[in-house]
Amino acid sequence: MQISDRQIDDFKTDRKDISPPLPVVLRLVPILFYCSIAVALILSSIFFLQFRIAIAKRDNHIAQTSSLVAQTQQSKNERAALEAQIKKATDIQNWVNGARPLQPLLVEITRSMGPKTSLLDLSLDRAVDDPGKILMAIKMGADSTKQLDLTMARISSMNYRAFSPSQTLGRGVLDYKATLVRKLPQNSPPDGQLESPQ
Amino acid sequence: MNSIDLKAILNFSAFRPEPDDPSDAWRRRFPNERTIFFGIGRARLSWRGITRAGKPLEPESVKAEPREALTQAADHLKTLSDRGWCAVSLNTRYVISLETNLSRRPGSEELLKTNPRAILGGKFERGKRYAVTHNPETNSSILLTFDEDQTRKTEAMFSESGFRVGRICCGTYLLLRHALAETNSTKGSETPFSSFYIICCEGAVCALVQDQDRWMELRSRTDVYEDDIGPIADLLAPFHSRLAPGIGITLVCDEPLPELSERLAAAFPGREVKDLSEPSLLASLMVKH
Repeated sequence: MQISDRQIDDFKTDRKDISPPLPVVLRLVPILFYCSIAVALILSSIFFLQFRIAIAKRDNHIAQTSSLVAQTQQSKNERAALEAQIKKATDIQNWVNGARPLQPLLVEITRSMGPKTSLLDLSLDRAVDDPGKILMAIKMGADSTKQLDLTMARISSMNYRAFSPSQTLGRGVLDYKATLVRKLPQNSPPDGQLESPQ
Repeated sequence: MNSIDLKAILNFSAFRPEPDDPSDAWRRRFPNERTIFFGIGRARLSWRGITRAGKPLEPESVKAEPREALTQAADHLKTLSDRGWCAVSLNTRYVISLETNLSRRPGSEELLKTNPRAILGGKFERGKRYAVTHNPETNSSILLTFDEDQTRKTEAMFSESGFRVGRICCGTYLLLRHALAETNSTKGSETPFSSFYIICCEGAVCALVQDQDRWMELRSRTDVYEDDIGPIADLLAPFHSRLAPGIGITLVCDEPLPELSERLAAAFPGREVKDLSEPSLLASLMVKH
């Protein structure tokens, strides 16, 4: 014989509106609800941290960009300064190169000055329309044209011929202007062309 | 669905039975909640707290009319319960009898609660509540008859004192069911079992003779003993001559009664006494089921 040990016989007055418990499988509903809250909190935390990291990265990037822009600007300024210096150097080099054919002439002119003569001003300019012509202007402290003759002789010895000379003498200052043209050497080409200036 | 229903779903209480749903076990109805287990005799009120883990505490009792005792001790007793829920074992004004040829149609046990006349026929009495245990091998049944007025008064008494009654049961009947279930666990009639069941609960005594799976005789009395267990032996003495040879004694008490086993062994010489009593047995069964 088997008698089951089942539930207790209850004599309490039953309440009519007792509802049975919900099925166990529906426990998934609150469990999923709490899981979703937990996941949302975790994801929110992750996103918040990522957001903070992204802001820090952005600030760092902005700082780096500003620094690089400043460096670039500094480099540009330095480059501009260098280019200005290069231009100056190039100009000087060009001037030196351009003035090199006239240097012997200048040396002869300055050497021609006597001890009692002072060279106040001297300019040698190539003519714009004809570079082979040199516009010379000399201002020297002299009471006579003797020094001028000596200088012109020395210039002539350098194979330069003076054209359109003009001179003014007054109060111990001799102002002389002329156009110098290089004479052709004896073994120059037969067509009689002038040697091209360098 | 309102906010209360949503709250019940979110705190999982909607997946537990309601506290006063008698169809579910006490532990499932009150998980992690302290409750009280009361025992009511004719002039005695006993109680013990049930912890959140479902463990019964040490019993306390007062020898007084239960209503007065409950009123006086209500403030102290409420501290033993979280929400005032309690279970009550009524140990007086009930009758346990042996009946034959009761209806065993499917659902008859449920029908016995709602329409007992359909099951009991001429044995039905107005104003009573019933519970039944059928003998699966014979046509006999153990019928518990409760006074409906007594249960209503008991519910009202506890409600007036601020308690909420979650269960009213008969301790003696519960222990008798436990003894029968413990000893009759083999399905079929190949190994018939014989025993003389003695149930003691809060002063009530119930004796059942089972011979070869047949329930032969049942005697139940309330308020038989208090501190002295002598009346128990006196009540059971007539059975000595009627018991078949070789039938052992199965003793079940709500709390172990000192010397009762020895006195039964002396009163029924030559019969084995099997004592199934355990401390807090009735309260443990009440919490378990």
